[in-house]
Formats: sequence, structure tokens, C-alpha cells
Amino acid sequence: MRTQLELNIRSRGAMRGILTLGSLDPAFAAAAHTEGEAVVLDLRPVEFVEPSGLCGLAALLELLISRSEEVGLALSGRNVPAYLERMNFFRIFGDRVKTNADVSALEERRRGNPGTLQELVNFHSEEEIPGIINRISEILENKEYGLRERAAICATLSEICANAVEHGHSPFGAYAAVQAYQHIVSGGRERRGEEVLIAIADGGVGVRTTLSRNLQYAELTETDNDALRHALKMGVSGTGEIGRGGGLAVVGQIAARAGGSLSLRSGSGRVTFYGNRTNSRNVPPFPGTFVRVSLPRKTTSSQQLPSSKKHKDVG
Amino acid sequence: MISLKTVSKELAAEKRPQAVYDVAAGEAGGKLMVTRGTGRRVREALAEVLEGLPSSGVLYVDTRGVELMDYSFADEALGILVSRVAAGEYGERHVALVEVERDLLENIEASLRQRSLAMIRVDEVGGNPEILGEVPEHLVDTLRAIYDAGSITNVNLATKLGLNHTACNNRATRLLKLGLIHRSKNTAAPGGCQYSYERIA
Repeated sequence: MRTQLELNIRSRGAMRGILTLGSLDPAFAAAAHTEGEAVVLDLRPVEFVEPSGLCGLAALLELLISRSEEVGLALSGRNVPAYLERMNFFRIFGDRVKTNADVSALEERRRGNPGTLQELVNFHSEEEIPGIINRISEILENKEYGLRERAAICATLSEICANAVEHGHSPFGAYAAVQAYQHIVSGGRERRGEEVLIAIADGGVGVRTTLSRNLQYAELTETDNDALRHALKMGVSGTGEIGRGGGLAVVGQIAARAGGSLSLRSGSGRVTFYGNRTNSRNVPPFPGTFVRVSLPRKTTSSQQLPSSKKHKDVG
Repeated sequence: MISLKTVSKELAAEKRPQAVYDVAAGEAGGKLMVTRGTGRRVREALAEVLEGLPSSGVLYVDTRGVELMDYSFADEALGILVSRVAAGEYGERHVALVEVERDLLENIEASLRQRSLAMIRVDEVGGNPEILGEVPEHLVDTLRAIYDAGSITNVNLATKLGLNHTACNNRATRLLKLGLIHRSKNTAAPGGCQYSYERIA
């Protein structure tokens, strides 16, 4: 007897077929009620996986594996399994998850090295972060990102990675993935430009619990959304030490300046910071903390598709 | 960014004992400076050099070879070091930053502002000193006057700024406590002991 876990994959519109964190919500909700029985996660409607979908999937599988005797993954087509393999997904989960995809065939395919991605990486301590950052810096250098942009992206990423392993007490550490695209993925119809998407997920106690250790924030952490909004402010941290709590605020500013966004999800809160506005809404609970950063390089409609060098200051 | 030096002069600062620490080339450092752990190791290396300097000496922390630095590193390596220097943990020794105007300064500035601190920055050792971080508005003129002069007695500084001696001394003392200037005591001065304030870079 297997329980099939459905996803919420859009069948039309700009987000059609994309595996995002949000599309995993029904499965997270169902996973909370799993008690030992075998489960199958149905990824067949998925046509495209972005880093946040990948990190979310990793966090979901960690949760399912801890609660279920057997976890299966139903995949269809060739592109999604090939992308998952390319992102090292099966190296991490291959022996813990059953799948209908022929992974051994995928492993033999030659691995292209487009220099545009950081494979899904699982890390547990701060010492592992400089190596990850170094790798991503190289990717961006290959993509002809200027030093300024590279520094901004990497400084962003290291802060979030550090948060994920420092505060979380996560049983599986944290997952990160990065992908640079030749088009804009986030935000609907306008696809001209380039975009770097960064996602980091941990399975820790969450932002509200971390911040509420600091008693002065008692009134500001009544809900998950309150806590997330508060976490974006300069100088807000769980320990209250001076100098702490600058990381996330600086990350938000960098993303906003690039015309992108910083999304945080923890507990039943979800907050997206755009610089001039901050949106929040209630979502099904996420068992940990999830961060997604969008760093676009938009081109205006009168311009040709970018050669990254030429247009590095645009947008 | 506020430039401090408007006039070039032969200065006491040039005779100050000094050491330069190149963060990118240092054993604890490198080109990609991220995480608090890395920042702590660099701060420990900096503290060792600082402690090895004679009193009134200045340590130039040269980050020009660093490609990127995150906030956590900046706060751990520089924010905490500057706060300890300002608190007097290293006696009368000082710290200055050698770095050009670029994005990397943002994280250092954010850390210093978060701690209500400031440090002196130069483009190169011997270059024009600028303020990085937070200096209260009313102290900026005082700081500029001291840096213009290189070394100035409290009496002369008070005259220059049109302040009474006590007010002038209070302002200079606050700058001293921020670690931005050096103070020396001139016991041979007519009328007894007198303080002189000196620039550190």
C-alpha cells in the first residue's frame, strides 16, 4: 500500500510545468501526516526544475525519508531526470529513494560543463561554505560576470548559507543550489535578460523560534510572517549581539538593487522583499527555513538579447 | 565619504611606528573572504601584529587584494577588531584600513555603523585619510582640523574651532575613544601638562 503525494504544478501560464517551492506545498502538508507507510511523490507533471524547486524537493525528501519506510519518485520524460542527475540529485538521494527513471543510463551521459550552475550541495558546517562560494565565484567568472556582481552574489550566498547551518539545528544540515539562466525565470511574461537563481533550504527550527530567543522581540515574533519581516531589518538577530543580524538585510538590498528579490519562507510565513515593498502571505508550513534570491540582469525591450559583458550594467 | 585631509604637511603621523597586513596574501586570508570563522582567524592574525607594535603604532589592514567579503567576515574581522581598539584593549595602538572606494567597503561600513564605530581609510599607505563608518556630525570638523594639522595642541585646536578648552577637549576625547586619533601628553609645556592630538594615518 503506497500513498501517492500530489504536487501543485501549474498546467498553464508563465509558471506552467515549473517545480517551485510552492508547488511542493500539498506534499509537505501530506508528509506531516505520514506515519511509516510507503509514499510516492508524483513529479510527472514537472517539465522544468529551478533551484528553489530542487532545494525544496531535497528538504521534502529528507522529511519523508525520516517518516516513511519507503519513498518513491515518479518521473516522466527525459529532461527532468537528466537535469536532476546533472544537479547531483541522484548522487545524494539515489540510494535512499526509489525511482522509475533509469538513473544508470543518465550517469553515462557525458556531463556538459556549461559553467552556469552549482549542483545541489548538502553541507553541515560553516567550514564548508568558503569552498562552495569559491566554486560559485568561478561559475560567475566563466559567465563573464564582473567582479562587482560576482562579489555581490557570493557575499549574499555565503550569508544565507551561514544562517542555514548556524541557527538551524537541522537534522540534515542545509541544501543549496544555484543556476544562471539566459532568460528571466521569475516574474511572469518578461523573459528578456538573464537571471541567477539561488536557493538554500534547511530543516531547522525556523526564523520565528530563532528570533524569539531574543526576548526583546517577543511582540515582533507573534506570527511567522512578523518574524520574517523583522529578520530582514538591520541588526536583528536571535542572540542580540551587536554587529549580528546584518547579513540578511544586506542580501535584500543587493537583490533589490539588481531589480530582483529575496524570499524567505519559514513556518507558515512567506515574505518577499523587493526593496521598495515587502509582500507577505500565509502558506502551508515549511519545516525549516527556505531562502530564494533572484538576481536578474534585465534588458530593455529596445535592446538585443544580452551578451553578458555588454549589458552588465543594465537593469 | 568624508575626506579629511585638505592640506599636505610634514606630520607626526609619518613617524608613527607602523605595520601593514595584506589580507589577501596573509596565511589566514585570501581573495574570497566569507563567514565569521574566516573573519575570526584573520582578526586573530591582525591582533597579533597589532600587539607586536610599539605604543602609538598603527596597523594598516590592506584589503585591496580581496575580491569579495561578506558582512559576517567584515564584522568579525574588522567590526570586532575596531570595537576592541576603541575600547582600549590594545592600549594606544591604532588600526586603519587600506582600501579604494568600491562596493567591498559597504559591508565594512555596515558593520561599523551597526556598532556606532568608524575607522580611518586610505587608498594607499600615506594617502588621503577618509572616514569609514559613523562619526557624529559635530565631531567631523574637529576630526578634520586635527588631520589638517597633523598634530595640534588642545589650546590651538580650541582656538581654531572657536570652542572653549573643555568643549574642545571633550570632542577630541570622543574621537580618541573612537580610535580615530592619537593623543600625546606634553609635560614640558608652559603652564603644565598639555595634550596634543595627532592624526593616525
